[in-house]
Amino acid sequence: MTFVKHHVFIGNKNQKNPLANNAEALADGKQAFSHYCVACHGNDGQNTGVPFVDHISPPIPSLASPEVQSYSDGQLKTILDYGIQPSGMPGSKGVLSDDELWSIIIFLRHLPPAGSQGVPEMYTH
Amino acid sequence: MQPKFRRLANAALLLLVISGASVVTLAQSAPRRIEITASQFSFAPGDITLKKGQPVLLVLKSQDVAHGLRVRELNVALKVNEHGTTQVQFTPQKAGDFVGHCFVFCGKGHGSMVLTFHVVN
Repeated sequence: MTFVKHHVFIGNKNQKNPLANNAEALADGKQAFSHYCVACHGNDGQNTGVPFVDHISPPIPSLASPEVQSYSDGQLKTILDYGIQPSGMPGSKGVLSDDELWSIIIFLRHLPPAGSQGVPEMYTH
Repeated sequence: MQPKFRRLANAALLLLVISGASVVTLAQSAPRRIEITASQFSFAPGDITLKKGQPVLLVLKSQDVAHGLRVRELNVALKVNEHGTTQVQFTPQKAGDFVGHCFVFCGKGHGSMVLTFHVVN
């Protein structure tokens, strides 16, 4: 299934990230990630502190895993734009700007160590 | 003309020239004021034409929740609080079309909040 997703279902392989890969874009990506992604992926993108992570099918992948990291930037943009059906991954086109989505991809390429960012604030009450 | 009056006339003329030059300088450096209203989920106006090299004072007003406006290529970023007003001055240094986005998450249509600056020579 992973092979089919990487080579058939998820297109846009060759699109390049228009943002410069720098500290500013990384900080922007971390901030944008915190708006819309942490509920399922945790602050670290590795599901830390997500209470339903062991009870959802298909499982939520760690964004640091080779399965995710081996997508090209363009493929990740397609996934962020349109989501992955029938998984629970929703599309974010229109919810977040292109600028923010590309900055999230920069953040995904520089994920912090697992567990280093604590539990998402929404799960601390 | 008597020497005393001639000196007075010269002084008055000098004052006039200096004050006139100051007015010209002020007129040249005074930024163009542009007001932008942000509301879920749009900026108004959505298209703004600027002149390269002409200083601009951007005034951003929110009609509802907190918003932001960032145009990376023009090095412009400002945030406005709920029902607040904020401003920034800048001078566009390159011509072209530059798209600005809201960068303070403001709801489901946040990603569609865009504004285009057309900078002309």
